[in-house]
Amino acid sequence: MAESVIGKRIPKVDSREKVTGQAVYAGDMRMPGMYYGKVVRCWEHAHAKVKKLDFSAALKVPGVVKIIGPDDVTKKPYNTTVMKLLVPEIFGEVFGEIADLNIFNRVVKHQGDAICGVIARTEEAAERAAAKIKVTYEPLPVYMTVEASKAEGKKKNGYLFTPLKPGNLAFDLPESFFPGKRYGWNDKDGKTAEQLFSKCDYIIEDTFYVPKQKQCQMENHSYVAHYDERNRLNIWTSTQMPKPVQVLIAELFELPLTRVRLTQTTVGGGFGVRLGMIGEPHACAMAMAVPGHPVRMEFLREEDWVASETRYPGHIWLKMGFKKDGTPVAVDAMYSARKGGYYTHGSGPPFCAAAFLHGMYKWQALGMQTEGYFTNEVPTGAYRGYGNPQITFAAEQMITKMCNELGLDEIEWRKKWHKSIGDETWLKGVTFASDGLNDCLDVAAKEFGWYEKKKKYAKQTGVKRRGIGLAVMQHTSGAFPMLLEHSVCTAKLNEDCTVELIQQISDLGTGGHTVITQMAAETLGFPMEDIHLKSGDSDMCGFDIGAHASRTIYCAGPATIEACESVKKQLLERAAQLLEANVADLEMKDKIISVKGNPQKSISAVKIAKEGVYNYIDAATGKTIGIPGQIQGYSSFFAKHCSPPYGACMSEVEVDIETGEVKVLNLVNGHDIGKAIHPPSVEGQLEGGAQQGLGFVLTEEYAYDSKGRVLNNDFTDYKMLGPSDMPKAKIILVETAPDPIGPMGVKSCGESALMGPIGSVANAVYDAIGIQIKEAPITPEKVLKAIKEQGLRK
Amino acid sequence: MKKRAITLTINGEEYSLNVPVHHTLLQVLRDHLNLTDVKYGCGRGECGACTVLLDVGKGKRKPILACIALAATMDGKSITTAAGLSKDGTLHPVQKAFVDESAIQCGFCTPGMVLKSVSILEKNSKPTEEEIRFGLEGNICRCTGYAKIVTAVQAASKKMAAGKR
Amino acid sequence: MASSRILPEFELLLPQNIKEAVSALGKLKSKASVMAGGTDVVISCTKGFGSPNVISLAEIPGLDYVVYDSKKGLRIGAMATLQQVADNADVKKRYPALQRACAINGTPQTRNMGTVVGNIMRASPSGDCICAVLAIGGKIVLQGPKGKREVNIDDFYLKYRETACKADELAIEIKLPAISAKNAFARMTRTTLDLSKVNVACSLVMSGKTVKEARVAVGAVAPTTIRLKKVEAILKGSQITDEVLQKVVATVPTEIKPIDDVRSTAEYRRDVAGVMVKRIILEALGK
Ligand SMILES: Cc1cc2nc3c(=O)[nH]c(=O)nc-3n(C[C@H](O)[C@H](O)[C@H](O)COP(=O)(O)OP(=O)(O)OC[C@H]3O[C@@H](n4cnc5c(N)ncnc54)[C@H](O)[C@@H]3O)c2cc1C
Ligand code: FES
Ligand code: FES
Repeated sequence: MAESVIGKRIPKVDSREKVTGQAVYAGDMRMPGMYYGKVVRCWEHAHAKVKKLDFSAALKVPGVVKIIGPDDVTKKPYNTTVMKLLVPEIFGEVFGEIADLNIFNRVVKHQGDAICGVIARTEEAAERAAAKIKVTYEPLPVYMTVEASKAEGKKKNGYLFTPLKPGNLAFDLPESFFPGKRYGWNDKDGKTAEQLFSKCDYIIEDTFYVPKQKQCQMENHSYVAHYDERNRLNIWTSTQMPKPVQVLIAELFELPLTRVRLTQTTVGGGFGVRLGMIGEPHACAMAMAVPGHPVRMEFLREEDWVASETRYPGHIWLKMGFKKDGTPVAVDAMYSARKGGYYTHGSGPPFCAAAFLHGMYKWQALGMQTEGYFTNEVPTGAYRGYGNPQITFAAEQMITKMCNELGLDEIEWRKKWHKSIGDETWLKGVTFASDGLNDCLDVAAKEFGWYEKKKKYAKQTGVKRRGIGLAVMQHTSGAFPMLLEHSVCTAKLNEDCTVELIQQISDLGTGGHTVITQMAAETLGFPMEDIHLKSGDSDMCGFDIGAHASRTIYCAGPATIEACESVKKQLLERAAQLLEANVADLEMKDKIISVKGNPQKSISAVKIAKEGVYNYIDAATGKTIGIPGQIQGYSSFFAKHCSPPYGACMSEVEVDIETGEVKVLNLVNGHDIGKAIHPPSVEGQLEGGAQQGLGFVLTEEYAYDSKGRVLNNDFTDYKMLGPSDMPKAKIILVETAPDPIGPMGVKSCGESALMGPIGSVANAVYDAIGIQIKEAPITPEKVLKAIKEQGLRK
Repeated sequence: MKKRAITLTINGEEYSLNVPVHHTLLQVLRDHLNLTDVKYGCGRGECGACTVLLDVGKGKRKPILACIALAATMDGKSITTAAGLSKDGTLHPVQKAFVDESAIQCGFCTPGMVLKSVSILEKNSKPTEEEIRFGLEGNICRCTGYAKIVTAVQAASKKMAAGKR
Repeated sequence: MASSRILPEFELLLPQNIKEAVSALGKLKSKASVMAGGTDVVISCTKGFGSPNVISLAEIPGLDYVVYDSKKGLRIGAMATLQQVADNADVKKRYPALQRACAINGTPQTRNMGTVVGNIMRASPSGDCICAVLAIGGKIVLQGPKGKREVNIDDFYLKYRETACKADELAIEIKLPAISAKNAFARMTRTTLDLSKVNVACSLVMSGKTVKEARVAVGAVAPTTIRLKKVEAILKGSQITDEVLQKVVATVPTEIKPIDDVRSTAEYRRDVAGVMVKRIILEALGK
């Protein structure tokens, strides 16, 4: 049998084309007759009415083909998210989902809102014409905080972002589903968290701030759209969610799915930013205005900044109550978010923040509220972690503080009180099936030298103070049963006994294509080279919800496995017929199917595959040679669980107490992967996630001027950690708790990587200076100010 | 002048071009010549996705940024892009190391990252980890956290040293 | 509207010698911008601050020199790149402040493209080479229609991004004196690749343990990079004791006028500038 490829450090299937620069991203596409589209956006205001649009000068620019405005496109409002496909309709209604965005807008609700579109024969002509379009604006007051938006919404005849949302309250949790508008549970006597605080010996309460962070995927959003001669709308995009986006486009332009073809190009990073529609509606609208001509539309980096979604910023209030011995009793919490200009994901990420608070520790009662107010900021949406980074930043700092103040060992406390097998996960009614957290904690502590460092840094003087911090997390593998997790795979056996997997797998760079190929090879017992994954074309692939909620391997892998098992089964069945044996007695090795213990009695799978396709008639006998029919395996798989993975992260920082600068010296992250099919990919997720987590906690946030315009819409002013800023990161893949439900034992790793670094660095700073910095990012400015105001404590 | 006739050698091939003077080298490579292995990431010199290696004679090359170089000022110059690093299907040792170490995720930064790594090793065949990291500044990768890229450069350094011996 | 991918149209002039360059500049004056490495000129274009004419120095031969003479000091030609200066052995040995300001400036790619003279001429209050040169001392050699003149770096920066260089003048080179002063440069940034929140440099002529002459420069804390005259006065004639350093730390905030921006806050800059000056003095003295 071909040697197993599971767990092997093999090169990724798509690495050669990437390392030579031959992988094609949407912006790399060139097509005959191609035009260039440019969305004209409002740069000068964050809130304004469009009074007049004058295209006359722009239309005179040589090379301009057409300019389209709000009246030239569908006026049907839409929502960027694919959420409504993931949940039953009633859910959307209960949560208050709305469609409040237009392709081109007459009211600007944030800087970067789309006004109109230019189509030209060159990109430069489109750019020049765009500059000549005269838009007359009537500026409106900007609302940049929850308080301002709320106050305005409360006024009689106050300004409303949308009449669909009274008071500018974009969302909160509906009372009908969530008593007290809280997600959580009451204790066994029905007491709420609030009611239990009176029974606590130790209560802490605090408010934290979490930043508006940008995904900063390196490939800017780019599209080619083409309304072709068959009246089909074709779109090439690097969306993370090809199938749902195809459906949303079909709905928006009122076309049947047969007339919308979506092709996913190589994805230059996603991290959630491509979790719904971004520029697809605009690209399609422009293409439909010039039938027969493909239109390429490539965002500028500065455009990416204002015209695609961000993390949800806001304040998280937490109140936690414990017994003297550390027994967790009650937690009450509130996440108050700035929504930005549009509804998009609504309560999604804040709700999930509540969910991940729910999934972590064994409280007797827990309740978390969420609310979001519209603001004139770039809209918020999905970003890797989806609420979990935010709640981890706040909650893990609280837990560490409690342990310090009650004199408890924080590793042991977390071992004892985290939810485990049989306990409810982040989602009510769904229980943990595996738990590797204690092992993560043990291996991380050993690798990191936790206790040694704890002792060593207990008493420090001097300008540079070291500190160590810990945070644990649990996440999810797909979002079943809250969300639909459906994947379809067809495995087609070619006549040469190689396999074509036809399956939509969104590989954002995560290694998904490699891992799916490995899983297919393993299931079939074929070499990797004999498997080819065909993905990306909606004309060809069955349904797949896309890449969200760390689901791909966990939810789509089983479809691959099932489809390949079916191919194998059919091969064995045919062999059984031809060999006159029982299927149960057969085995397949190196594509030879033989009777166990009797290798002479065998037949080649290659022969079966070939004869299935080239099923000739034997002239001598008049009968067919072999068994007819090309073999195909098929699976339409619905996930059965969400097997949350755990993780434990420890980091060490050095704080310069004279300047407030924080340097992360090293980081150890133990991750409960269950089974790592392709270890380098898992490590890659955790290493890369650390860079984003450290950015969240140390440097990254939008800055606005007083008029609501983004001050840092480039990498000069929005700062991510670079190669020399990154600490040595040691990633440990813990495989001691393979998941009984996940395919081959796997749990997810895509989003898990951010939480640990965020919580542990915050705690390490706290350890170093004895002061908690409750606002992320923890900048030197904040650290120094805190030291000045509160004095060093240790 | 509004346009300038230049000759530019790209990956060993000489091109005679008539370029608008305000066009960047990046535009010329991507839009005039369809050499899309050179990427646009920021257009402001910060991300390194558009990195190319400029020949400076005596077999030496140094990394520059195509997004802020005016093509019209590059008459007679010779550059290498990621596509030009591999020869007849054989990857450059640095490319090979990126593949072997899984230093590639979405791949968008990769062409620039590989060229940058080549330049680091051409300047200093045995860089320390710190030197590699500092040398990689200016090439942003949002996927990998740089860890496997650093490992790949180290691996390539070892391989190339062994190859020379 | 500006674009980070498509530059506005402009005329490009590619003079083949200084004379041509000066004459072109003489005609166009403020309607032209001089381009050395272009790392700033092109980026300004992407932000909508382009000029209708660009005079590129790229094809003028012989401007990329870095030469040191033990009597005359260091001369850096207008096209010498940051990397060239950072790699220069004499610069490493005698002008560590400048070496450092070049070596950490931007990225390897921008160091290969950008020039030291461009950094000086860009006149950004956070310009790293400016800070180093202001501490070391030096002259900018300008050439205009009426010939050459030299301006002392101390008199060069007038206001925010305004210099003594006239619209029809070109910077040919900068000259740094031959010095025995101990000098050093450091900066504070949010991440390694960044523009300075605050940068500091000093140059100290020592006589035994006593400071004979002191020049201290600090950037990004006022409309231009400035020298800290009161601090210099404290240092001059003193020995570097904890007490003196404490006085320095306390004095720095009185000499600067920082503002809030995306990189930092005025308050923070005021808080750390003194600490940075203290540390750079110690670094220059090898402590
Ligand atoms: C990614 C990036 C990072 C950067 N990081 C830093 C940093 O860390 N520190 C820092 O200080 N700067 C930094 N810069 C700014 C800038 O690149 C440098 O200051 C560089 O040294 C400018 O040199 P240049 O030759 O490219 O200048 P150019 O862009 O050619 O010119 C800069 C300015 O000087 C004028 N000028 C240039 N040469 C002459 C001349 N001979 N006569 C008259 N005027 C002239 C130009 O008209 C223009 O106004 C960075 C820039 C980028 C893009
Ligand atoms: S595109 Fe050139 S540096 Fe980013
Ligand atoms: S691999 Fe995606 S940006 Fe580097």
